[in-house]
Amino acid sequence: MIPLVSNTSQKTFISRLMQYPVTRAILALIVIFVIGLVFNGGGAFFKWPAHRDMLRQYSVFGILACGMTIVIITAGIDLSVGSMLGLSAVVFSLLTIHRDWNPWHAIPACIAMGAILGVVSGGLISRFRIQPFIATLAMMVFARGLAKFISGGMKISTSIQQADGSYIYKNDPAIFKMIDSRILDGNLAVVTLIFIFCLFISWLILSRLRIGRYLYAIGGNEEAARLSGVPVIKAKIFAYGMCGLFSAIAGICQAAQEYQGDPEAGVSYELTAIAIAVIGGTNLMGGRGSILLTLFGTLTIGYLDKILSINAVSEAGRLMLTGVIIVSAVLLQRRRK
Amino acid sequence: MHNISKRFGGTAALEGVSIELYPGEAHILAGENGAGKSTLIKILCGVYSEYAGRIVLENRPVKFSSPQDAARHGIAAIHQELSLIPAMSVSDNIFLGREKMKKNGTVDFSAQTIASQKILKRLGIDGVDVHRPVEEYPISIMQMIEIAKALSMNSRIIIMDEPTSALTEPEVNKLFETISALKLQGHAIIYITHKMEEIYKIGDRITVLRDGRFVAAAPIADMARNALIRNMVGRELNEQIQRRSKVCAEELFRVENLDIADPQGNRNLVNDVSFSARKGEILGIAGLQGSGASELLNGIFGAYGPVSKGSVFLNGNPFVVRSPGRSIEQGLALLTNDRKTTGLVLGMSIVENITLASLPQYSPVCWMRNSMEQKAALRYKQELNIKADELSREVSSLSGGNQQKVALAKWVGTKPLVLLLDEPTRGIDVASKHEIYELMNRWTAAGCAIILITSEMPELIALSDRIIVMHRGRISARLEGDRITQENILHAAMGQEREVA
Amino acid sequence: MKKTRSMLVGIAIVLCLALTAATWSAEKGTPENPWVIGMSQCNLGEPWRVQMNADIKSAADAAPSIKVIYKDAQNDTLRQRAHIEEFIGQGVDLLIVSPKEAAPLTPIIRNAYTNKIPVIVLDRRVVGEDYTCFIGADNKKIGEAAGRWIAGKLNGKGNVVELKGLMTTTPGQDRNSGFRKGIEGTEIKVIFEADMKWLEPDARKEMESALARFDKIDLVYGHNDPAAHGAYLAAKAAGREKNIIFVGIDGLVQEGQAYIKQNILQASFEYPTGGKEAIEIALKILKGETVPKEITLKSRVFTPENLEKGGEWLPEMPASSAPAQPAKKEQ
Repeated sequence: MIPLVSNTSQKTFISRLMQYPVTRAILALIVIFVIGLVFNGGGAFFKWPAHRDMLRQYSVFGILACGMTIVIITAGIDLSVGSMLGLSAVVFSLLTIHRDWNPWHAIPACIAMGAILGVVSGGLISRFRIQPFIATLAMMVFARGLAKFISGGMKISTSIQQADGSYIYKNDPAIFKMIDSRILDGNLAVVTLIFIFCLFISWLILSRLRIGRYLYAIGGNEEAARLSGVPVIKAKIFAYGMCGLFSAIAGICQAAQEYQGDPEAGVSYELTAIAIAVIGGTNLMGGRGSILLTLFGTLTIGYLDKILSINAVSEAGRLMLTGVIIVSAVLLQRRRK
Repeated sequence: MHNISKRFGGTAALEGVSIELYPGEAHILAGENGAGKSTLIKILCGVYSEYAGRIVLENRPVKFSSPQDAARHGIAAIHQELSLIPAMSVSDNIFLGREKMKKNGTVDFSAQTIASQKILKRLGIDGVDVHRPVEEYPISIMQMIEIAKALSMNSRIIIMDEPTSALTEPEVNKLFETISALKLQGHAIIYITHKMEEIYKIGDRITVLRDGRFVAAAPIADMARNALIRNMVGRELNEQIQRRSKVCAEELFRVENLDIADPQGNRNLVNDVSFSARKGEILGIAGLQGSGASELLNGIFGAYGPVSKGSVFLNGNPFVVRSPGRSIEQGLALLTNDRKTTGLVLGMSIVENITLASLPQYSPVCWMRNSMEQKAALRYKQELNIKADELSREVSSLSGGNQQKVALAKWVGTKPLVLLLDEPTRGIDVASKHEIYELMNRWTAAGCAIILITSEMPELIALSDRIIVMHRGRISARLEGDRITQENILHAAMGQEREVA
Repeated sequence: MKKTRSMLVGIAIVLCLALTAATWSAEKGTPENPWVIGMSQCNLGEPWRVQMNADIKSAADAAPSIKVIYKDAQNDTLRQRAHIEEFIGQGVDLLIVSPKEAAPLTPIIRNAYTNKIPVIVLDRRVVGEDYTCFIGADNKKIGEAAGRWIAGKLNGKGNVVELKGLMTTTPGQDRNSGFRKGIEGTEIKVIFEADMKWLEPDARKEMESALARFDKIDLVYGHNDPAAHGAYLAAKAAGREKNIIFVGIDGLVQEGQAYIKQNILQASFEYPTGGKEAIEIALKILKGETVPKEITLKSRVFTPENLEKGGEWLPEMPASSAPAQPAKKEQ
């Protein structure tokens, strides 16, 4: 990792270590983890299934956060990820359940659709200079509308209404069962595997590919980047395209886990995705952040939710506690000078 | 103002400067870029409250803690960047922050309207509806509104910093009429300009600054143009700067009849400019603030997109002005004049900044080759003598001189044929400056052409093989050999029509 | 721009006038000149409400003497109010309103009622008596029936997980309190309860936590069918679905009944939409017949055994005192 603050030898080892954003992200995670050890829900926290299930549940959010991180690094924001997830879930269910498409056609089709809608957002933002907040807000509403239009407002499930009002019932498609299953003797959910794959792809983009460097440069100083020959428009379109693509993958995972495509799926997921990126330590002003931080952010938020859940904290208590923890984590993340 | 001094860190921006101002006069403040004019003005209108010396206003010593404080004492400044809020109405702008209140605590709009109309009438401006937003009016009217704002505060001293730079000829005349009227009403005006004709048209007295020092003050009639120029230049030529490399005869870069419009396309920043540069040559461009020199380089580089008129040739082939990326591919590099806002990505590491403009070299098929990149960055670090213990440090942790070297390294890394350098030595220490001169010699010796803008005239004169001088977006002189003198440059830069070589 | 706009407005006015003129001229209630019913739905984002509209539509299609106009307020009280105002301005012959909230919508519904437009209030109540007829099911009774059914199924003893809907909404509160009343006096223990906000993914997550904490879970009571289904998926992933009974509420054809068919749920309690009944009542009102002020819908329980026969009607229970307005939020 790149140290963010200049090094002075007088500082203690700990405070030097705390200069690294990764250390701070890990510390936030450790704090949450310790809370889990104390409030362990009658010992449930000590068993692997609690962790495995948390990973399964937060995989979808984590996939969204991968795309969100890429966009936030360019000093942008994408509010449409939740709607895109819903749209992708509906389209994927429609194609595989109702139209009997081969999943190896349906998956690329959904991913392509997500990427194209992301590219549209990116084009509006970079080429036509609409603020990311506005452009993706419009896309958020549009994608939700499209999902409802395609589905007719109904969940796309294995019970299919016929023209005469009666229902026929289909079996769950094999691809749904496959994505919703677990590997390694039932110790790891397939969606978590997909999340890890998305993390890897994002890491490649941000750390190993030229375009990643461009994204950081744009977020750090767009004008300087442009004057250094960075193809700003192309890079931004790419970032939003990737975000749309990851949203579509998340939508497929969501549909498979629900065994249906719910046009209302993913409402307010964009806020969770933003919270994950920010808690990890990715800066909303752009230019700083990494996919590793997003992984820690996902785990922090995921464990927080899991601990609240196994202790059966009431909804009101959860909302208040989550607010408090987010602020504390971000304060902890703040760069010390 | 007596004996004003101001230091920024180790450098003295002003040393013992005095200026006297009488009611009803237009006082010209003259000096080259960096002579200390703006610093003086900022002290007078309360922006800097830490300084040595004293200010006496009507026989009473005063010290302003803030611009608001200065305004209360009747001092108002009209800067080049107008401080109006575009979407607010004319009268609201005039009374912004000092709204007229009714007894019940609400704004008395009708009183504001009447007062604004009265002030505008006093300025002799008709046809301005004080209810309309100011953005609907041209810049000249906005400036009048600024003046109206100053008058509404009962300002007795009005400071105008290059007020005519964005105005057309008739608008300038209108402004001068207003200034004459203000003088008659007993206001004192401090007027900063780089235009010779304006100095003699409206000035009553003049104070000349140079390198933060007071040089001369006299009634305008007692200071002839040549004397003024002499007073302004008079800087020591630096013998240490040496120009060593030979210029080839072969032409490398040519610009013909170029117009450059501002990004909004409203007006031309640069008009009908032609010049050429040869292999191994340093071509200097001189110009005071608002001359369009910086805009010329940015325009050629494609920072404003395609040019509206004119053509550019590199190595005899047409050069396509489209975008910075395209220009870099064709062998052009532009070091911008502000490394913090347009030069470097401060949050990124030294390596990442060095390689930013030449990433395709280190990432064949889009895949970053980190060892290649590290090796190259290390090479440039040694070549340019960048002092940094670790290349993975954030570039913002470096000193100004080293930051500038990183910015230069970025451009050398693109292997350019022509280097456009806009103020390469601004705000850096002397040692780094000399290292950069040395590098410029080395690069021209290797066959590069350099087009150089610098506001330090000795530097420009010592380094340039030829100099073109710009004034209001046009070339006003081309100087070569013995004719390169500070006086000649300044005459042309201030718009004196002289014989063109 | 301005010209076109004013022209369009002009055309719209002329059209409206022509339409009203046409409707005035002839006798109402014929296939050529049907009665117009305005249907204001508070939110079509929920399958249950989509089903309500579908029920209304299929019943209305069978009656040629009426025509129904639908509006969806998208879960926005003020928008629903505007929709009802539009219907009144349009001069519909009858209003069916499924209100989002009681208090804010009461004045406008009263306005319609006092202007001689008959109003049928569906599912959720409004304040006072200024409507023609209220049709709705009783969540408390359904919850209680579910509690009794569960008590019978478990022989009065066992560990139950309750996955609650939003506890800040009346249905969530009623399905909870009714259920608790139904299991009163038995040895059934609610060992884990959590708010799943009516959402299946949340229900699945909460069930995972319950499974991690408790080794013996006999039954899951979900406040809607998706909750029970989500809980089933969680149990299945843990390999424990065979030992747990899943019970849900709503009994929609494509959800609860489908899950029973697939042997996922052991019971689903119908929460009838009242769409069909609303049209029947509407026809009576329009023909000038008198109708009762309040109709409580009967509901059915669906189980794998009775699904083929179309479910089984729940026995009549002593009427629980239904509140005239949503009860206070309880934590």
